[in-house]
Amino acid sequence: METNGTFEIHAEAEEIVARKDVSYYVSHILFGRVFRIVLLLLFILAILIPIVYIASTSLKEPIEIRVSGALLPTGPITTINWIKAFRNVPLVRYLFNSTVVAFFSTILVLVIAVPTTYSIIRFKTGGWFFPAWILGTYVMPPIVVSIPIFAMVKMVGLQNTLLGLLLVHTMANMPIAVWLMDSYIRAIPKELEQAAWIDGYSKFDTLRRVVFPLIRPGVLATGVICLILSWNEFLFALILTYGVQSNTFPIGISRYVGEHGLQFGEMSAAALAGIVPIYILVFLFSRNLVEGLTRGGVKG
Amino acid sequence: MASVELRNVWKIYGGKVQAVIDACWKCNDGEFFSILGPSGCGKSSTLRMIAGLEEITRGEILFDDRVVNKMPPSERNVAMVFENWALYPNLNVYENIAFPLRVRNLPEAEIDRKVKWAAEFLGLEPVLKTGVKHLSGGEMQRVSIGRAIVREPAVLIMDEPISHLDAGLRARMRDELKKQVAELGVTTLYITHDQVESMAMADRIAIMNLGRIQQVGTPLDIYYNPANEFVGGFIGEPPMNFTLCELVQEGENYFITSPSFRLQLDDICKARFLGYRGNPKLKLGVRPEDVLVSLTPMPNSFGLRVDFVEPQGDRTIISLQMNGDIFLAQVLGDLRPEVNQTVYVTFDQRHMHFFDVETGVNVLYMS
Repeated sequence: METNGTFEIHAEAEEIVARKDVSYYVSHILFGRVFRIVLLLLFILAILIPIVYIASTSLKEPIEIRVSGALLPTGPITTINWIKAFRNVPLVRYLFNSTVVAFFSTILVLVIAVPTTYSIIRFKTGGWFFPAWILGTYVMPPIVVSIPIFAMVKMVGLQNTLLGLLLVHTMANMPIAVWLMDSYIRAIPKELEQAAWIDGYSKFDTLRRVVFPLIRPGVLATGVICLILSWNEFLFALILTYGVQSNTFPIGISRYVGEHGLQFGEMSAAALAGIVPIYILVFLFSRNLVEGLTRGGVKG
Repeated sequence: MASVELRNVWKIYGGKVQAVIDACWKCNDGEFFSILGPSGCGKSSTLRMIAGLEEITRGEILFDDRVVNKMPPSERNVAMVFENWALYPNLNVYENIAFPLRVRNLPEAEIDRKVKWAAEFLGLEPVLKTGVKHLSGGEMQRVSIGRAIVREPAVLIMDEPISHLDAGLRARMRDELKKQVAELGVTTLYITHDQVESMAMADRIAIMNLGRIQQVGTPLDIYYNPANEFVGGFIGEPPMNFTLCELVQEGENYFITSPSFRLQLDDICKARFLGYRGNPKLKLGVRPEDVLVSLTPMPNSFGLRVDFVEPQGDRTIISLQMNGDIFLAQVLGDLRPEVNQTVYVTFDQRHMHFFDVETGVNVLYMS
């Protein structure tokens, strides 16, 4: 490695070689870098393996699934699970239901959460109690309120409807949306809004014309997070929907257990079909999302 | 355009903190009126109440003799230039200037005409389509002025508009701003902590300290006739010297005495003290340029020890030992005494100020 000093790693390493201090390089910098890469690889593997496993299972012959637990298919690859997954269970309908619930609940959450948060921060609406209370509802486990919520939804006749479920999702995601929007709105200098008021804009127009364009990345990130939460939500969907017309995707997955025995292959295919849209979405918005999550994280 | 009048205006935060105490003044139509004071003196609270951003605890604010206490900022037709300029970062220069016009539903052609006028007036034409994030400090400052003047406001409020610029640009913008405002003829309230800006630009100045208005007057009036010790010490650079002294009458003559000096008052100064029946113990205030220094004794002068000499080229600042305090003298540049030398000092008696020891009020104040 040290022949004629011709190796090029980077300035840092060169400097160390110039100081003839290779042991320092190995023990501190190289080791640190290798360690970091190994750690990252392990982490990625841990996340990817279940997905690889699902993908490979969905391509295995049903018989192979039963006898072999190997990560990758050992026998012939087949699409039979995919065909059956869509034929035996109304998967498309479940995905459609999930899309409707996730999309509209997210829109509703944003429409309510953005002005609410703005009002809490700028006009101290509700004093200290209101924001604390909103966050408090998020701390509580959802199962605690499942029975009252079921009773309420039933009272207004929205059980087993998409509208009922999406309203409950709206409610459930409200605290996290308010919490995420908080740091975005706080980051906007007050003077901008005051300038707009003086310029002749009403408080609502100021929110719309001045504040909103500045917090748009945050609104997008919050929206994606609410979308994911609603898409993956299981408990309320299980309680409030009990038919094909309103079951969402996570409930639909469980259908592969009940009606046709334990169909691992079909279930894997369906699961993959269900997570692909949300993965694409997250991928598209990943920059906004990371920013949104870290901003939320920085807040004390 | 409009006049602005404050009648016994108070601002009390949280029932305790008195930010503005009984402010009473009137800024005439078309006047360039400056509110000057150290930070925390209540000048920002005052202007925020005038703009409508802050509620008025007590008293009345009038625009053209009409009470505007309950009017929201959007209806007062005031324009404001903020300390940090508060430009809308997502819009370009053109849209920033056009922003206050958009809400008024003016036809596009008229908006365009007005924005172009403001841009030409301020020399912003080359950057009209530029995003405001890419502008220099001076340009941002001009955009914020453009946004303020484009809708022909009744009152233009400027809150430390140039204090964020660097020194050279600040001096240039000071002149430019004054010229522009004079050309527009708009009533202007200019808030600053920098006495140089106030003195150079304003028609009249209101000086504030600790929530109270100390004095309202023209720059020269305030300089030569300070209402109290605070105003005397706040205005002027280097600042006014203060020392305790006693007024003594001996027959026909008046003297002021202290451990360091004994000075006979001349006829003009004596005349001002005729009929004075107050406390003979006074605080004397003399500006450094009114301290006359000579290396040889002069009539009615007294010797002081030189503590420090600061040559500045055209002038020399001399620190003198006076009653255990530092007393500054500003003399011509060619006079350069040695440290510890004794020099002979007298005061320009036209510009000696006497303040009450307890209240700080100028006992000879000519209102």
